Amino acid sequence: MSITTTGNLGPMILQSLAPAMLYVPTPTMNYITICDKVSMPPNGGTTMRFMRPRALQPPTVQLGNSGIDPPAQVPQRDIIDAQMAFFGTGCIINEQVILQDQEGVLAWVSERLAVAMRQAEDLILRDYIVSAASQINAGGGSNGDNPTNLGMSDFSLVATTLDTNNAYKFMSGIEGMDRFGTGPVRSAYFMLSSTELQSDFDALVGSGFLNQWNYPTNASALPSEYGSAFNIRVLTSSEAPVARGISANGADVYYNTVVGKQAVTHINQDGYSMNLIYRDPYYSGMLAQNATLAVKFAQAQAITQDTAIRNLLSTRLSSLGV
Amino acid sequence: MSEYSKMVKGRFTAGGTSAYVNLPFQPDFVELWNYTNIKAAVAANKALRAWWDASLFDGSNNPTMLEVYNAGSVTAFDTIQTNGISSFYAGLSLQYGPIVAHGGSPVSEFSITAANPAVVTTVGNHGLNSGDVVVFQNLKQTSTTGMQQIAGIAFTVTVTGATTFSIPWNASGSAYTAFNTATSTGNVGSYKKVLYPYLYAPGVSIISNITNGATTTIDTASAHNFVVGQEIAIRIPNVLPSSVQQWGPTQFNSLPNTVIPGSPIYGYVISVTDYNTVVVNINSSSYTSFSSNIPFSSVPGLSWPQIVAVGDVNTGGVQISANSALYPPPYIVPIGTTRVNTINGPAIQGSFFNNTSQGFIIGAGTANTATSVQIMAANDVIEWRAFLHDGSFPN
Repeated sequence: MSITTTGNLGPMILQSLAPAMLYVPTPTMNYITICDKVSMPPNGGTTMRFMRPRALQPPTVQLGNSGIDPPAQVPQRDIIDAQMAFFGTGCIINEQVILQDQEGVLAWVSERLAVAMRQAEDLILRDYIVSAASQINAGGGSNGDNPTNLGMSDFSLVATTLDTNNAYKFMSGIEGMDRFGTGPVRSAYFMLSSTELQSDFDALVGSGFLNQWNYPTNASALPSEYGSAFNIRVLTSSEAPVARGISANGADVYYNTVVGKQAVTHINQDGYSMNLIYRDPYYSGMLAQNATLAVKFAQAQAITQDTAIRNLLSTRLSSLGV
Repeated sequence: MSEYSKMVKGRFTAGGTSAYVNLPFQPDFVELWNYTNIKAAVAANKALRAWWDASLFDGSNNPTMLEVYNAGSVTAFDTIQTNGISSFYAGLSLQYGPIVAHGGSPVSEFSITAANPAVVTTVGNHGLNSGDVVVFQNLKQTSTTGMQQIAGIAFTVTVTGATTFSIPWNASGSAYTAFNTATSTGNVGSYKKVLYPYLYAPGVSIISNITNGATTTIDTASAHNFVVGQEIAIRIPNVLPSSVQQWGPTQFNSLPNTVIPGSPIYGYVISVTDYNTVVVNINSSSYTSFSSNIPFSSVPGLSWPQIVAVGDVNTGGVQISANSALYPPPYIVPIGTTRVNTINGPAIQGSFFNNTSQGFIIGAGTANTATSVQIMAANDVIEWRAFLHDGSFPN
């Protein structure tokens, strides 16, 4: 046979690297979105302190004609403290990796470290809110569990609770327009929820849930916004907290965090947020073999308006496709 | 030593048969010596030293190696196949241990008494320690009876024996029926251990009882981690339908406020009795009494009463105590009155703080041959070293 094939004359180099890296699946980071932002001043100690004056009693009793002053009130205030904590991670990369790899390892590792830091920031806020915010178990659903799946009455109940607590809403309403399939959107709190509940939200469309694509205009919708119900606009993320298998009936429990303004405050260390640190192999030892690449950051967090936040716990009605 | 290897050493007096040791890293090798047993006279069934390598596997087990005095008081080598030394990374909430349910191992069944406090008895050693936190599911004896009211609540356990522990809940009311996985319909019923229950503190806790008076005593289902001076809010939800037994004292609710509409009513912790009991400065003499006797039928959608930290009135750091550091960090109290320091620097008492950590665990597992031997017992002095190596061959 005289046919030359790749069996007897194979290519000298078998692979080519595609020109662009593949994307890294990364959850939407919603928790930082709802936080107030405060910087801890340099040389300011370990603990950030917040102060909120208390309301004075409105003088609703008339003075009368005695000429005698009413008793004075004593102003009071509430104090909230949060301790700063430091975080960091990094990679030790041998110079042979940097010298021999066909891709810019330091560049993409830097990018991954930055994303890891931002994700840590969000996860810390998420877990803090799980541990520190009071909770309401959903009861408006039909699955017979505790908590139940979300029903429309649960949205109404939690929004009523926050309204009664005089919480501030994040978003003003969207006026209705003469566009087919759309409806007006009320002024709203945010609810941070799981992508795993999106099919449950879809099931509530006929009951009053308005999908984001049915808003009169999407100009004010956030990228992770799935829809709205009564006075709540729902943001979803795959990293929303889920307690697996711990409901009364052994199902997954979702922490749907409903928040108003200033409910949670994120505190960074002034001048210290997001340090990307590269150390040349020169610093690594006698033969200068290893570079290091690392990030560090500092953050604290506090619930600064406990009246403006509730974790609405729910289970799920629909099964997951997985 | 290689350039990036890490090694630390330390010493502690054991509070029980297991312990968490916080480190700045997750070690891949730990060795320890039970100084108390080494110093004491030769005795049967005592551990002398133990060591563990994260990369050593025996089947699916990652065993701990032991040197012990065996049953004949002779020095011998042994292993702990499961629940010996291991590393941990406590950085994320809502992590749970294996399901304990009918037909499982080492616990094959369990029951809960309708008593105050409710007592759990297991068939097979439960392996828990006082201060561990568990959460129950599927406590339906029938479709209308059982203890489904407490399913989903995180409870701190107080261990009373190898097969018994209590949970701080009054289940003696008529609405509760003693539960048993062996006899319930379909052999349902389970519990899980909450692996890292206090990563952030102080926080929200489920209220298990309230004693009204000129001051108010509040018990919680798991550790509250409050300090004196903590400012708190109380939430007493309604039970549906409104015609059934309610939790009771909704007067505690921070809102609505009939005197200054819109202004939340808070209280302050004036005394910390122990891990799950605080006294607050709210005069509740005229308030409705608390009851946990909530009917089984109200469970779907049942919300629990809660106490939540909202601030503090303190100005200084943590007070020092005997043998403590001069600038001690904030602490948690998982059980009794024993403070467990966090790895933080000093902070205002009552501040919100981060309690995430990593390190290694000394488990309560027993030896493979000398089956009654555990690595340590309460009051044993343990000397340890932990390493994270640059190289490990094979990994």
